[in-house]
Amino acid sequence: MKTILRIILDILLVIAVINGWWSVAIVLVLIGVWFFKLYIEIIIAGVAYDALFGMTSGMGWRGYEGTIFAIVLLIVIKLLKKLVR
Amino acid sequence: MYIRTSKRPGQDHARMAAYIAAGVVVVIIAVQLLVPHFLPSIFTTIARPFWRMEFSVGSGSLESPGSLLAENESLKTQLAALNVQQQSVQSIANDNSELLTLLGRTDVSASNIQSASNAQSATSTGTTSSSGPLSSLKPIPGRILAAVLVRPPQAAYDELVIDIGSDHGISYGAKVYAPGDILIGSTTDILGQTSKVKLFSSPGETYSVLIGSSRIPATAVGRGGGQYQAEVPQASKINQGDTVSDSSISDAPFGIVSAVLANPADPFETVLFAPPVNIYQLRWVLVATSTGKKI
Repeated sequence: MKTILRIILDILLVIAVINGWWSVAIVLVLIGVWFFKLYIEIIIAGVAYDALFGMTSGMGWRGYEGTIFAIVLLIVIKLLKKLVR
Repeated sequence: MYIRTSKRPGQDHARMAAYIAAGVVVVIIAVQLLVPHFLPSIFTTIARPFWRMEFSVGSGSLESPGSLLAENESLKTQLAALNVQQQSVQSIANDNSELLTLLGRTDVSASNIQSASNAQSATSTGTTSSSGPLSSLKPIPGRILAAVLVRPPQAAYDELVIDIGSDHGISYGAKVYAPGDILIGSTTDILGQTSKVKLFSSPGETYSVLIGSSRIPATAVGRGGGQYQAEVPQASKINQGDTVSDSSISDAPFGIVSAVLANPADPFETVLFAPPVNIYQLRWVLVATSTGKKI
């Protein structure tokens, strides 16, 4: 059951990233990172978003905001889960 | 006696997550240094069919024939109205030239204005017909029509993604124009079948422009959301509604002044302007095919 929910969440995440709905994607990855173990899809989503809409010469580090945000969020939520549980 | 022989699973997961994050960072840095377009190419290839399908749906490809016919008739009616407007504008231009001649300006004759007007129309539309928003979408020498697949605010980085790339000979730094020959940006990332367009209105971007009837040179600074600002000397007599044009030899239209913020204590006044098109609703753009800097 949890696997099916994770697959559904991943499909929604793919749709959000492809369409550039970064706010929707953030909500989805927050849910995924909190409820699932080792939710590395967040990093894939961040890299994909940057590859689609960023990673342009001249943007500097701003073209990698999605990846940076995903990694930071993954680490922060992991620490929070460790504190809470 | 209980001896714990293994660490808590949570610590393993946390360590694995840290390793994965570090690995991703290293891989991305290495890939971007060695093959900069590898990751964008892969993900764009995956996303492109979805963007094209979305564009087709938005263009009405899946609408009923009846609704498409009704829309066609409506567009024809609008075009006829625009043609009538253009004729009245031409009539006013002719009256203007006659008045100039009466006032002794024989160097600016009606035929000169007419030929200049025809040349401008021919350059911008490829024909001598009216230069409305629909006619600017016809093939124009030196320009390629491109569909906008992704636009702000959908794209978080204040840029456009268009459906042509190196397959159509697009090069880095090519100028991009909205319908109406309005300069809005330049190409940055060129992939096989798509390209990214950096808007000049992106925060921090600068571009040289000429403002108002006095053509005061200024530097347009992007504020995001299709908005610009520029600093000009006090008492420059710039008013709301003045035109802003490209400072290069093309002299392409750039924007319309929306507000002038003046502080008598300040030697400069701030001019706010925006292009006369809504970049959030752009569906088509024109890309110049003159070669630019390649990366």
